[in-house]
Amino acid sequence: MTETISAEGAARRRYDAIIVGAGWAGSALAKRLGAQGWHVLVLEAGNGGTETWPGYLDSLSTYYAAVAKVPNSAYRRNKAAPYPDVLDLAPVRDPEPGRPEFTANGYFVQNGRLPYGTDYLRELGGAAMHWLGAVPRMLPDDFATGTVYGYGRDWPFTAEELQPWYAEAERELGVAGNAEEQKDLGVVTDSAYQYPMHHIPQSYLDERCRTLDGTTVNDSVADEDYALKMYGLPQARNSTPNPAYPAPYRIQGAVGIPNYGERCVGNASCVPICPVQAKSHPLRLQAAWPGTVTLATRCVVTRVRKGRDAYVSGVEYRTYTDPASPVSRSYVAEADVVILAAHAIENARLLLFSELATGSGQVGRNLMDHPTILNWALTPEAKGPIGPFRGPGHTSGWEVFRSGFGRSERAPFRIEIGNWGWGWATGAPLSNVATALGLGGTPDGSVRDKGVYGPELRRLLGSSIGRQLQLQIAVEQSADENNRVTIDPARYRDAMGNPRPILTYDLDEHVRKGLYAARLVARQIFGFLEATDYTDHAPRDGVPPLGHFVHSGTHLAYSGAGHGAGTHIMGDDETTSVVDRDQRTHDHPNLYAVGCGSMPSVGTSNPTLTMMALALRSAAEIHKDLTAARRPARLRTPQHEEVPA
Amino acid sequence: MITALALHAKGFGIPTTVKELREYLQAALEVEHLTLPVYMTGLYSIRPGTNRTAHFAIRSVLMEEMLHMTLAANLLNAVGGTPRVGRKEFVAEYPARLPFSSPQLPAIGLQHFSPAALKTFLLIERPRKMAPNPKPGEGWTSIGQFYDSIRQGLEHLVAQHGAAAIFTGRPERQVGPEDFYNSGGEVFAVHDLKSAQLAIRVISDQGEGTDGTIWDSDDLIFGEARQLAHYFRFNEIYTGRSYGPHDTPDAPPSGPLLDVTWDDAYPIHGDSKVADYKKYEQTSAVYGHAVAFNTRYAALLSYLQSAFDGWPRAMALAVPTMLELRDRSEQLYRNPHPDPTLAAEGLFASPTFEVEQPQFEAVRDTVDENLRLAGLEAGEPIDLSLTS
Repeated sequence: MTETISAEGAARRRYDAIIVGAGWAGSALAKRLGAQGWHVLVLEAGNGGTETWPGYLDSLSTYYAAVAKVPNSAYRRNKAAPYPDVLDLAPVRDPEPGRPEFTANGYFVQNGRLPYGTDYLRELGGAAMHWLGAVPRMLPDDFATGTVYGYGRDWPFTAEELQPWYAEAERELGVAGNAEEQKDLGVVTDSAYQYPMHHIPQSYLDERCRTLDGTTVNDSVADEDYALKMYGLPQARNSTPNPAYPAPYRIQGAVGIPNYGERCVGNASCVPICPVQAKSHPLRLQAAWPGTVTLATRCVVTRVRKGRDAYVSGVEYRTYTDPASPVSRSYVAEADVVILAAHAIENARLLLFSELATGSGQVGRNLMDHPTILNWALTPEAKGPIGPFRGPGHTSGWEVFRSGFGRSERAPFRIEIGNWGWGWATGAPLSNVATALGLGGTPDGSVRDKGVYGPELRRLLGSSIGRQLQLQIAVEQSADENNRVTIDPARYRDAMGNPRPILTYDLDEHVRKGLYAARLVARQIFGFLEATDYTDHAPRDGVPPLGHFVHSGTHLAYSGAGHGAGTHIMGDDETTSVVDRDQRTHDHPNLYAVGCGSMPSVGTSNPTLTMMALALRSAAEIHKDLTAARRPARLRTPQHEEVPA
Repeated sequence: MITALALHAKGFGIPTTVKELREYLQAALEVEHLTLPVYMTGLYSIRPGTNRTAHFAIRSVLMEEMLHMTLAANLLNAVGGTPRVGRKEFVAEYPARLPFSSPQLPAIGLQHFSPAALKTFLLIERPRKMAPNPKPGEGWTSIGQFYDSIRQGLEHLVAQHGAAAIFTGRPERQVGPEDFYNSGGEVFAVHDLKSAQLAIRVISDQGEGTDGTIWDSDDLIFGEARQLAHYFRFNEIYTGRSYGPHDTPDAPPSGPLLDVTWDDAYPIHGDSKVADYKKYEQTSAVYGHAVAFNTRYAALLSYLQSAFDGWPRAMALAVPTMLELRDRSEQLYRNPHPDPTLAAEGLFASPTFEVEQPQFEAVRDTVDENLRLAGLEAGEPIDLSLTS
């Protein structure tokens, strides 16, 4: 059981470490540091409650009742700790040429050419409370795109250096995967490695897509041929424990109730919430926190406090009692080390408002995501249904476009074979039902003709829903200084008085070419499957889709992937990066900024696993820092030169 | 129920030979299984979404009874026995006499979620300490006492003949945590006296509490959250009040009140039989669905027979069948009783749990075919996509 205390209680004492944010990174750091005996305070801006069983059921009910099943639909709005939502964006009808085709309401202020369509969640557990649970490792060449392919930023270390931390992260996250496939892919280099749990079975439609293995696809943008080969997806989801995993792995059940938590049975609502808690989430780590870790929820950190010299002394935070009201009180907590683990955009916002780590001028810059292009088609009726809307969001992908010298020409991409039909693209299956029933009005406002009912409705839905195939293709976005988070406290504040993030976002030519190439590849794949391509990113009745742009005369559109990264980028050079390889800020020896914000590049992998590997690596460094700070001071000058131990 | 009833009739005793020990363990399997239809009926007759506390409490006990059944099978396999669950002799006819309890207890029937049902649940789970002490030569008084005599018998046999002569079962017949999961506690392989004693302790402690407390020992044995033993979990629902941290078994709960809405259940006529439904075959589809339920129940037991008889991975087919039975139960409860007189009283249809030879025969081919298609090998990933 997680021990929580009030904001007042948290302020009364001094800690070894303060962690801002109780998502994956913060929860893992707290678990590690707490286990080593350090007194850790975790400050979480969110309301809390989901760690109890009634609270979890409430989140489930909230999701079931939501009209739009968006990633944040399981969680209640919070005025005191607001967060962005994908519904905050709206298209502009008949946009003026050269002007943005969207407006942004809600938490983010957006002034870029293109929308930043990614959300997150300020709630106990963070955005991991709505994540999918996809945990592929990054490819070795993802760590050096600048050197190898001539674009983006290099990491200060190699993939090889991260391998043991990936393995640790996979244990903490509870990953089900097929190690042999990942070795073949080149992301797992330890030939003996096994995942803690057996892989989640591939879906039926995956098996239909597997028939394309060996088929050659031409990427005309990179002018290269690629042979398709399907790979399973490692997932942080309960399956069968793998007896070949070296240390016995014990499946983690539900948090807040002793007798619950199943293995994945394909409920198909991973985003936002798994009804049986088969999907892993940070509350599991929190349940394993030792007594040395203290959690205070409803504590919104407003600033990091400067101490003597370059050191920081602690944080200021405000606490609220009613998430619907902005009334709050301010407190101070002090610690030897402060760790920001509040999401890339929130970390940047905090550093900017605290006027810390300003040396490189890079705080808030290099904002990244995985712009994702959706492609949707109907498979041929003659071949029967393909069984969408079962299983996790996706269980397989085509990986071949992620690496190779095509990357020099266009951004690399990973093709996810979607298991949830046209859900993301068109709101299926509910949109199919509405259309069939004739719900809603016509564009000119009159009532539609009567829809179909009874057996005809069943037949229509069976035919149209059962053949929906969607390929969602996530494209790498590399670090670009002009994509950035800023603040303007004089103009934009939230209800509590904290500055709102101002985002300036665009896609560079390399990324746009990647999206275009992905679209062309998807079209070919649909052709091989004899599927009818219904993908349409063109404006309709003057209304462009969100994320719309035109490339080589083709209408394209992208969605955000929820993979905010790169706002306090990592590097060895303090003039061009914010944090060092241990995620310690170059400017402040006891201030760490952890999370996806540190990543110099995101490759084509969902970033949580890499973020966790970095966090666990940093936990070891922070432990060393804290230990060193406690070595007894030398009271006498040594008589002779001593060899340091 | 044949073995359990025969042992019960013989009166209190401690097994003195390996053959007797195996009989006792087969009886243990039967007794654990006897509770499943009773708890399933109490659980699935709750109107969905209501009585959440009660729902999850009964569900947790049901899950743990399945764990107990599996541990009993592991014990029986460990001592060289062969569990027999996939046959009609294994299944009780309801209302059923509860073996190893006082003959004065009423028969255990299928009852919808109600105070009367909870009272029955409490009778089943009554801790040893709350039952009268058995006198030599007299009958059994509690299931805990029955398990205790198994433990004593096992310990004597091991002391007499050595562990190697007793634990002769092949290890690959054991069901492990990779095959079955999701309840308090954990299934584990039984291969020596220590693991056998632990299995018996898990079964006893989860049912009636540890060392005369209201708590089970999941926290001590498995490092899980401490929770109430079955009797006390049920008593919370029955009394509408939760236990406090310092409450004792002999006193009623003293904690905060619990919301239990007895009206949020589908009232049933628990003694209904398929033959009763057949009379209304022309006017109600309940008959067909009740027959299908029993057939699928036979499939469940057939998969379990494979799982307990050298093919533990077959558990992967039993679990979804159990979930199917849940859905089928809930469908039956939502229909009025086919008998217009009973329907007029507000009673609903219910599964009858009549599993006879024809039901087993009806599913044999499907079960065999699915076991073959699933190709479930120990240590390998589970993929049921080819099964039907």
